[in-house]
Amino acid sequence: MQPQPTDGAGYEKERPYQDTPDRTARKIKRMIWHIIKRELYDHLNSLRFAFTTVLLIILMLINAVGYLDEYKTQSTAYQKKVLASLDKMRSQTDNLYNLLITGPGNLYKKPFSLSFCASSGEGFIPESAEGGRAGWSIGFNGFSAKGLWRMKYPQSNPNLWDIMPDYRNVDWADIISIVLSLIAILFTFDTISSEQERGTLRLTFSNSISRGTVLVSKFLAALITISIPFLIAALINLFLLYSSGSTPLGPSEWGRLGVIVLIAFVYVSIFLALGLLISSYMSHSSTSLTILLLIWVVWIALLPSTLGALTSGLQPTMTGDELNARRENLRQNLDEQYENRWSKTASRDIPATEGTLLWSKYLTEDAKRNEELNEEHLNTQIAQIQLARSITRISPASSVRYAIESLAGTGFSRHVQFLAHVRRYAGEFSTFLIETDRADPESPHALGPKEGTSQKPVSFESIPKFEDRISFSGAYTAAATDILLLLLFFVVLFAGAFLSFLRVDV
Amino acid sequence: MFLILLRRELLANLMTFRFLVAMVVTLLLVVANTVVLIADYERRLISYNTAAQQHREKVSNAKVYCELDGTLFVDRPPNPLSIFNAGLDRRLGNSITVRHTLVPTLWDTHSHSADNPFLNLFSSVDLVLIFQVILSLLALLFAHDAIAGEREAGTLRLTMTNPVSRPVILLAKYISAMACLILPLVMSLLLALILFSVSGSIALGGDGWLRICGILLTSIIYLSVFYLIGLLISALTRRTATALMLSMVIWSTLVLIYPSLIVFGVNRLWQTPSQLEASYGEIEQIWEGFERERTNFLKNDEVEGENANFNVKGSGSSGTGYNSNSATLRYFKAEFRNWTSINEASEPQLIHVKAFFQFLEPLRIDTADKTGLVRQQALDQVYVHKANFAKNLMRLSPVSMYDLATEAWAGTGFHSIEDFIISVQQYRQTVINYFHDKAAFSSRQWFASDQGEVDWSDLPQFSYHRADVSTDVKHATGDIACLLLINVVLFMMTVLIFVRQEV
Repeated sequence: MQPQPTDGAGYEKERPYQDTPDRTARKIKRMIWHIIKRELYDHLNSLRFAFTTVLLIILMLINAVGYLDEYKTQSTAYQKKVLASLDKMRSQTDNLYNLLITGPGNLYKKPFSLSFCASSGEGFIPESAEGGRAGWSIGFNGFSAKGLWRMKYPQSNPNLWDIMPDYRNVDWADIISIVLSLIAILFTFDTISSEQERGTLRLTFSNSISRGTVLVSKFLAALITISIPFLIAALINLFLLYSSGSTPLGPSEWGRLGVIVLIAFVYVSIFLALGLLISSYMSHSSTSLTILLLIWVVWIALLPSTLGALTSGLQPTMTGDELNARRENLRQNLDEQYENRWSKTASRDIPATEGTLLWSKYLTEDAKRNEELNEEHLNTQIAQIQLARSITRISPASSVRYAIESLAGTGFSRHVQFLAHVRRYAGEFSTFLIETDRADPESPHALGPKEGTSQKPVSFESIPKFEDRISFSGAYTAAATDILLLLLFFVVLFAGAFLSFLRVDV
Repeated sequence: MFLILLRRELLANLMTFRFLVAMVVTLLLVVANTVVLIADYERRLISYNTAAQQHREKVSNAKVYCELDGTLFVDRPPNPLSIFNAGLDRRLGNSITVRHTLVPTLWDTHSHSADNPFLNLFSSVDLVLIFQVILSLLALLFAHDAIAGEREAGTLRLTMTNPVSRPVILLAKYISAMACLILPLVMSLLLALILFSVSGSIALGGDGWLRICGILLTSIIYLSVFYLIGLLISALTRRTATALMLSMVIWSTLVLIYPSLIVFGVNRLWQTPSQLEASYGEIEQIWEGFERERTNFLKNDEVEGENANFNVKGSGSSGTGYNSNSATLRYFKAEFRNWTSINEASEPQLIHVKAFFQFLEPLRIDTADKTGLVRQQALDQVYVHKANFAKNLMRLSPVSMYDLATEAWAGTGFHSIEDFIISVQQYRQTVINYFHDKAAFSSRQWFASDQGEVDWSDLPQFSYHRADVSTDVKHATGDIACLLLINVVLFMMTVLIFVRQEV
């Protein structure tokens, strides 16, 4: 325990000092509010505010109209495909061996109702993975064997025949990353330099007010000014989508949308801080705007693509030729390793004979190693993209896009999550096959050749079905890095603006 | 006086901070992107060479004539000028199967490049895009204070005291600003060309130089449009700040928002006509007609039953090729047979087999040609019209005109890809003629390799030459003429407004 001051008079003496911060805070608050009011009044009456409002509302309307039926169409198509895939599986249930050959079939990625927020990359990302037939069979002396099912990952390029000109989707991510940042610059490029030009800054400083307070209130005023048209436009957009009935928005979706709007505010703040920083460095507002626009064009419009292309050269992937060579190599290795299989055949004897076990081992190994190769190929591709993505995060436009994509359940990180689900499911499916076979007393329990596998029908209901989930924690964890990066950008730039504003000559 | 004005304006533009920054930024971006794009081009070239080599070797795998269907591939070489404007060169399929059973179209192509498909997530930045975005911005920044700024500073009045007419003042401003804009443009092009020659993998040829000059010329006309837009705004407004805001609004709309908006809108709202289904039905019917003829022939020939093997005994392999896709109207049926040995006893039967294929294959070609016409028409209606509609709407922005014109100069636009497809179709005809010359359909080697495999050494090779500059220019002239017209109109308007204004 700290000793309390026992001297009553001393205690009394300190009272006014305790009160002072409180009073100052109130005074600062009043002053901040005063400046904010003045700035807001200036902003709301300006040409740029009108332009911002009109532009944002038009873009959000176009987004809403464009995506009005998107989710409905997507989920109908998804359900159709899933049903077709399940029907195919059902037709194989009269025999466990059939399931062992055909596998679970096509596994589809579930569409998510927030695709209007970020869907630019969707055209380049496959929507399914396939657990399917090996596609080979061999036979000799009346014995025949087929390759077992394995996971394959399609290398589709859906826009191979797309002759439309290049374009960007008008989704929330684009509206935020490109348009809002430009607007933020247009609102701040002359905040300090124009006041300096007109001499009003000197007038403000003649009040008993710290420079930090002025900067913070200018920043807040600009943020409020931009958020008004953005929120109005976003609400119109959501109202249209929600009332059309084809895009159901539950509480979790509203939560995600709320986080997306918060991210948009952080992102806008970065550019407000940048605008204040440059504006306080430059003595003329026209120079300040020129510099800001050039920074913006390079940082936001061009750098993400350029860096993505540049860094992809750093980490080479497995080319198609290499993959084919590896596959051929694998086949030869297995051939050598199991050379004696040609002299043996499988049989239905229980316990399993040497031949049955050998064939079982060979077929399982073939499926497993080929699947591993497919995954390795996929992983090199994913690693290349991950590296490129982490480097493009130098541009906050990339960070904000990735964060919104994670929250909207689209884009690359969602695809990686989907692949993780697919892998887990593939494991479950294999385990199911092994356990069902074990439960059959008439089977020699050597999965692979027809003779070594249970021939009993399987109840369709008991087979585990793939269901793609969109996990909350996954989305927020994936977005967390990007949000932190955006905050970091903001803090650095705002600190820079603060320091340079302190040194401004008025 | 004009020269004095010119020199003053030139210095006023050149000595500014913004010019320096824009110049440095442009050159840096051009160098960085050229390096990336050259590496990408080299990768695609290697990929093309490997694929073309493999495909040439693959032909010799065909033991009998009918096996050529499905083993003959041709490839589209990458265009070195895609570094300037990538257009559709990188994106569309670049390998195609030549079959007598199907008239090839753009929708039958596939991709031989083994690149990571996820890389498409990062869109490519070509040189034209850099000019399109940065230099147009610079043009507006030069222009916005050209008149409004001088009016504010009062120097305009000073200039007017000299015996110089107002259009001449404008002309001096225009010429000097354009000189300042052309400087970074030409320097970027020179840097890019230096990088080309260092890499050594890019062969431009005399044709290529002409095309690059065309791109340069179009770029200058494009930048002039933006400078004149800025000048007009500057003449219209009283204050530089307003001029700047208006310029930025127009720039962001024309360059960033409008083109994407149009393609997005057309993609989302364009209703795919039901024509696809109808045409698919028609194509199926034509093929059914072919099947009927085939069955009739088998029924009416001298051999009992409808057996297409004609009771020939021997060993070998046979198969049917069948492929259909209702979205691209791809539909064909092929028949493949290869007897590697034939029993002595069956020898007399072979005459029937020969007659069968002699009847069937020309009929199949005929069917393929007929369905090809239906298909081409439907695909044009559905996909090509949609793309053209979007392009024409986009042409309301000079940015898209510039993009499309440079695409035509570079030979990476839709028309150039179409040229490739047409030359593949011609090659298919050459192969069919080759079959006819060899009397392949009625020969034993159409279906049997027991008396020796086919010697493919005299099979005509596919060669593809890009269209001449003169053909490509035709696709660019409309856009260039429009850009020039916009220039003239903008200049006239600026002069008219400026002449009547008080200073």
